[in-house]
Amino acid sequence: MIARASYPLLGLLIIAAIWEGSIRFFDIPPFVLPPLGQIAERIWTGRSEMIAGLSATLYEAGTGYVIGVAIGLLLAIAVSLSSLAERSVMPLFIAINSVPIVAYVPVSFVAFGLGAASKIAMVALTVGFTVFLSAVQGLKSVDPSAVNLLRSFGAGQMRIIWMFSLPAAMPIIVSGLRVSIVRAMIVAIVAEMLGAYDGLGRIIYEATQQVDFLRTWAAIAVASLASLVIYGVFVWCDRRLVWWK
Amino acid sequence: MKPSVWLPPLLVTALFLVCWEIFGHLPMGRVKVVPPVSAIAMDIIHNHQLLLRAMLHTLTEAMVGFAAGAAFGFLMGVLFAEVRILERMFFPVFIISQTIPVVAFGALVVIWFGNGMLSKVVIAFYLTFFPVTVHTHRGLLSVEQQRIDLLRSFAASRWTLFWRLRLPFALPTIMTSLILGSSLSLVGAIVGEWFGDTKGLGIMLVQAMYVENMVRLWSIIVACGVIGVGLYAVLRFVQTRWIWWGNET
Amino acid sequence: MASRPSDRPIIELSNVSKTFGDGQRTVVAIENVNLDIQPGEFVTLIGPSGCGKSTLFNIVAGLLDAEGSIRFGGKPHNGCDLLGKVAFMPQKDLLLPWRRVIDNAILPLQVEGMSRRQARAMADELFGEFGLAGFENHYPHQLSGGMRQRVALMRTFLFKRDLMLLDEPFGALDALTRMMMQRWLLDIWQRHNRTILFITHDVDEAIFLGDRVVVMTARPGSIKINRKIDLGRPRGAEITTSREFLEIKKELLAAVEEESMKSFRIAQQVP
Repeated sequence: MIARASYPLLGLLIIAAIWEGSIRFFDIPPFVLPPLGQIAERIWTGRSEMIAGLSATLYEAGTGYVIGVAIGLLLAIAVSLSSLAERSVMPLFIAINSVPIVAYVPVSFVAFGLGAASKIAMVALTVGFTVFLSAVQGLKSVDPSAVNLLRSFGAGQMRIIWMFSLPAAMPIIVSGLRVSIVRAMIVAIVAEMLGAYDGLGRIIYEATQQVDFLRTWAAIAVASLASLVIYGVFVWCDRRLVWWK
Repeated sequence: MKPSVWLPPLLVTALFLVCWEIFGHLPMGRVKVVPPVSAIAMDIIHNHQLLLRAMLHTLTEAMVGFAAGAAFGFLMGVLFAEVRILERMFFPVFIISQTIPVVAFGALVVIWFGNGMLSKVVIAFYLTFFPVTVHTHRGLLSVEQQRIDLLRSFAASRWTLFWRLRLPFALPTIMTSLILGSSLSLVGAIVGEWFGDTKGLGIMLVQAMYVENMVRLWSIIVACGVIGVGLYAVLRFVQTRWIWWGNET
Repeated sequence: MASRPSDRPIIELSNVSKTFGDGQRTVVAIENVNLDIQPGEFVTLIGPSGCGKSTLFNIVAGLLDAEGSIRFGGKPHNGCDLLGKVAFMPQKDLLLPWRRVIDNAILPLQVEGMSRRQARAMADELFGEFGLAGFENHYPHQLSGGMRQRVALMRTFLFKRDLMLLDEPFGALDALTRMMMQRWLLDIWQRHNRTILFITHDVDEAIFLGDRVVVMTARPGSIKINRKIDLGRPRGAEITTSREFLEIKKELLAAVEEESMKSFRIAQQVP
């Protein structure tokens, strides 16, 4: 166990060594690649700003995530109730989805303003689509003979979905939920970078414009750590929720 | 194809567009966030040259970055799959680093590499190479041991194993990541343009937003969608035509 | 091949053992296996599931190292030297989905470095014999299970080695197809004068095909019975209901069942 964990740790150390070493060896100016210690220090000295930014971003990402998951799942269930409905709306949804999601950000700004609402809408759109597509795929992949077996027991359509299809589709849906976490954070930050009153994305953009690169790196590091922690917690829960995988 | 196949989606799409049109004509607030479809269509027709130029610009940025990212990602994936010690030390770090919102570096990259095409290419590059590396690695290692044993019993060398077995087996998985990467590279190019550019769809989006020209904004979104659908269609064609044996889609 | 003196075995295993795992959790898969196979012989191997048949196979194919002595063609060998010297066919057909039937069959030739054109020319003449004429350019997913097995067998045949190892090649086929394939295999074997070691867990199949049936014990696997089958050749389907056949079957079934019961009990003891 110790031996298995030691390899990635060694890898991390090597990366850190290359980072620090190349700064000294190639004389890279700190505005391109600041030393790791300085980044950590900058996070600490700017902690009140970082915490405020992080909580704003987390609020947007979290609220949007919950709304998106709810809409995505409900839509997927509705669509998979009839194959006609699925065939009819899927091409439209796929067309809407094929637009790079960031292209909708300006529309969201005009519609909802520069505050949190526009970011929540963007996150909900992104997460909603990801969850919707994975749920449709998951619901479609369930074994039809098992569905027929349940139907032969006299089960109705909603009961079959609730008792069998949804649990059977869970592994695929959960992987959609997992991917959505990272996307929610990314979209919230990217939207903030284009315009916001608050949030890590705004700090990143503002600091870059003011040529305060250490602050940029510090904000990116905070965002990365936050994504990582949330992702880790989700994976940990996932192992317990979908135990039959 | 039978009408029962294409008629329902066509009807639904038409219904959607009609609703949009009617909704667009309703009296709304100061700015019409959703202008009528007809207005958007007219704008696209009248400004098609402007839009096409911007599309070409953005597409070039995305594709150069995509090609470089795909090639580099493939090599990294092969390296991780073939060299055990590298895999054990760096692959976990690599997987974890996927949760980093790398687009956030966009603003930095534009400062480093300037306002020109290079900075967008760099962003598209690193957005592409992450998924391609991970999928290549996974695809190459997903070959069942029995298949490897069979080829080994023919005294196959490591190169033969790679070339005749592992690589063809990984191709469907790699293809999946290329489809993912192509859309990410487009996102990279657009976001990169936000932070500094003079032409391209991304900067046009921002300009239209500042003057609250909603019709133009939607025209650009349609243009983005056309590129997105086009890239997807091309890669899907390649996938179904030449790499049809995969079980992953 | 006919010129080779037939008194020297093509492969001789003496006291071959294999242990898996390290430290406290070791499993002895096979122990002191002694087995000789003469050139041109068709030897079938049966034993309870989990008795180490596959381990033995992998050793003979050169995929696993083992303790003990292995002499191949009179010369001593250890482990991986045997890679490329034995034609090996695993249980599953393992055809490559992106290659046409003919290209699947010539895979070992290409691995050996032969050009595709040359290899295809060599394979071409075998298609009729393997009942695959007209299917050269199909893809594996277009074939039935029996046909896919024949492609896999053809691939093994084209890898021209004196000893062929077949690991339950007909295990996944339905009973009727299996009968047809058995007779067909005997036919091919007699015409091509190869040596075959054939794993099965079907006693009927073992007797019907083999010059000799080898029964393995429960784990750790070793040789329990080495029974010569003196039924005449060529053998037809009617032989399976003859008195001699049924007597041999009775004897071997008793042995196999005894070992199966043992391995069943071992399995129950494991917590």
